[in-house]
Amino acid sequence: MDPPTSGSSGAEPPGSAPSRLLEFEEQTEVGGVYLQALMRRQLRLSLAVAATFIAFLAVQPLISARWPQWASIRFWGIPLPWLVLGLGSYPLLIWLGMVYVRRAEEVDDEFTDLLS
Amino acid sequence: MSPSAAAVLGLLAMAVVSLGTGMFARRFAHTTSDFMVAARAVPPRVNAAAISGEYLSAASFLGIAGLVMQYGYDVLWYPVGYAAGYLLLLLFIAGPLRRFGAYTIPDFAEGRFDSPRFRRLAVALVLVIGFFYALPQVEAAGLTVQTASGLPYWVGVGVVSLVVVAAVTGGGMRGITLVQSLQFAVKVFAIALPAFLLLIHFGGLGSSFAGSPSGLAQLTKTTSFKVTPGELWQLPTATEIRVNGGATVAWSAGELVRSPGAVTAEVAGSPSPSRTARSGERLLRIVGRRLVPRGTIVWRQGATATLAAGEAAPYGSATPASTDARWMNPFGPLAGGSGHPLLFTYSLIMAILLGTIGLPHILVRFYTNPDARASRRTALLVLVLLGAFYIWPPIYGALGRALDPALYGGNLTDSVVLILPSLLGGWLGQLLLAVVSAGAFAAFTSTLSGLLVSLAGALGHDVYGRWLRPTATPAARRRAFQVAAVMAGAIAGGLGLLVGQFNISVLVGWAFAIAASSFFPLLVLGIWWPRLSTAGAAMGVALGGTLSTLAIVTSMVATIAPPLETFLAQQSSLAVILEQPAIITVPLAFLVMVGISLLGQGPPPGVAAKMVQLHAPELLGLRRDYIPD
Repeated sequence: MDPPTSGSSGAEPPGSAPSRLLEFEEQTEVGGVYLQALMRRQLRLSLAVAATFIAFLAVQPLISARWPQWASIRFWGIPLPWLVLGLGSYPLLIWLGMVYVRRAEEVDDEFTDLLS
Repeated sequence: MSPSAAAVLGLLAMAVVSLGTGMFARRFAHTTSDFMVAARAVPPRVNAAAISGEYLSAASFLGIAGLVMQYGYDVLWYPVGYAAGYLLLLLFIAGPLRRFGAYTIPDFAEGRFDSPRFRRLAVALVLVIGFFYALPQVEAAGLTVQTASGLPYWVGVGVVSLVVVAAVTGGGMRGITLVQSLQFAVKVFAIALPAFLLLIHFGGLGSSFAGSPSGLAQLTKTTSFKVTPGELWQLPTATEIRVNGGATVAWSAGELVRSPGAVTAEVAGSPSPSRTARSGERLLRIVGRRLVPRGTIVWRQGATATLAAGEAAPYGSATPASTDARWMNPFGPLAGGSGHPLLFTYSLIMAILLGTIGLPHILVRFYTNPDARASRRTALLVLVLLGAFYIWPPIYGALGRALDPALYGGNLTDSVVLILPSLLGGWLGQLLLAVVSAGAFAAFTSTLSGLLVSLAGALGHDVYGRWLRPTATPAARRRAFQVAAVMAGAIAGGLGLLVGQFNISVLVGWAFAIAASSFFPLLVLGIWWPRLSTAGAAMGVALGGTLSTLAIVTSMVATIAPPLETFLAQQSSLAVILEQPAIITVPLAFLVMVGISLLGQGPPPGVAAKMVQLHAPELLGLRRDYIPD
């Protein structure tokens, strides 16, 4: 592995950094706790968003198996299953993506504020 | 202007524009970092367009529409899954992976676990997945040029390989990023505009779902088919066929049932129509008009067969004949053909969703962002761009069934996107034909160039630069990258000339299954679970990758080995799993990784520092790229 050098962000850790940042960087036990908390928050957020969309997908084959008549419901002549899967999926994906990005950046920012 | 002239014009224009942009971008590419990760300076908007451009391959541009026309509703899982994969990528991978700051996925494998041996395993998988994915692109190039312009298959293969190799060796990642973002714009325009005009002209999409009085796809006009000796037709109902001069066909009552890839089984107990010696078959002589009963016929000699408008369209061997209802409703011939529609559907969703996350040539693009925030925004923008594209291909499939069902007879459904625009007729039809041809060219060149960067990166950076010659100068590494790009391009082009005509989307689906079973668990656990040990990760990747490859190879071999085929036809749930192995191999890879990590020696030393690198926000100023540049 290459020797670690400072990254291209150019910002060195400030010399008068609060002790929390130092602990974090030196991976003391306290620092480890901070990092774990951050990872757990981010992971919980990701899992919640993923579960929402996966549920949306997974429920459709079940409906088709249990209640096949839903294919005879039509809007503008197009069967409902086609509309839900082929058209409805994309706005939902984009909306979930937007919610996630906003929340993930907030979590990162709160963490940065806490440490500096 | 003849149809072929318009298509050739469209293809040529796209080739020239791609080459020109590549040459222009070449001036900005100097350092190794330029070649590998575009100097990590691509803004989200450009990067998202380039990623979408790379991702929308021939399978997306041509294949999905063709599969929708063949199988109906069940195929919608493909475009939705392809797009939704990016949501998962955004949620679990995009930010942390960028923070790690490597060049390639093997870099991540070695860096996260401090194990050079792990890099070699990862390189091998990058190469397998890359070539599995590259072959259908090359094949699509040949087929498209052939269908659209009438030029021979090898011309398309040759031109595309040359254009791509020139762009990649010239400007590396930096160059192709620009070319691919341009190609994305061309593709969206080329798929949306003709579909939009077709919908206006033929009175909306609803009429495509109206179905026909007979419940079968009926020919819209009197159609003449040129048939070759040995060609197989399924007649879903008694059909009047006219052959001037006469021809002999072998008729049998059996119906051909086929799900994509391998499983071919007969219902009604008749043996495989692909074999000549069969019981219950009768020779029929068609001279002039003759009403042929429902069943399967094999043409004994070449002829021109004419069917009047309103007759049910015959189906070639590649597509199961299906009624309007089977085509329109869930669990049609694709998922239902296997006998286990729910199992098949869930496994397919899993392979597509999770496969995206494991595709090395896609993942590497997130290293080209300046930081994790840009990386997340890039993934979000990709979702928007893919959504704008993926609503269109199924529309072609639905329109194709209603407007040009003759395509079923010649096994031409894969080219429905290229054929429908000319139904508008006149100069408009010709213009649109040129536009879709340009779009198709953009589709396989942009995907192939991304794959080539990934393959050349694995060979030039990982194999040469890290393993064979760790002391090589940056200039030598850059040259190795270029040499590797030429080699990989030549291999892909050469294999493309050899491969038979597999269905394009199915081949890509296999690459997804392998990626889902190997790199996906590696990345998710490697990023989010500090206790993952080197041995656990390596065993999981090796097992998942090997098993999924074996399953797929078995189901490929079954198509040419009748005893195996018969066996699988009896064990239908096993056949489903061999075709769509992800539902077994992905959880298995996870279990192995977690199990071995918990039982064996703990995580590699220094894992805490790795976790800081992956998860600490950049603003803290702790960032250290794995490969500083």
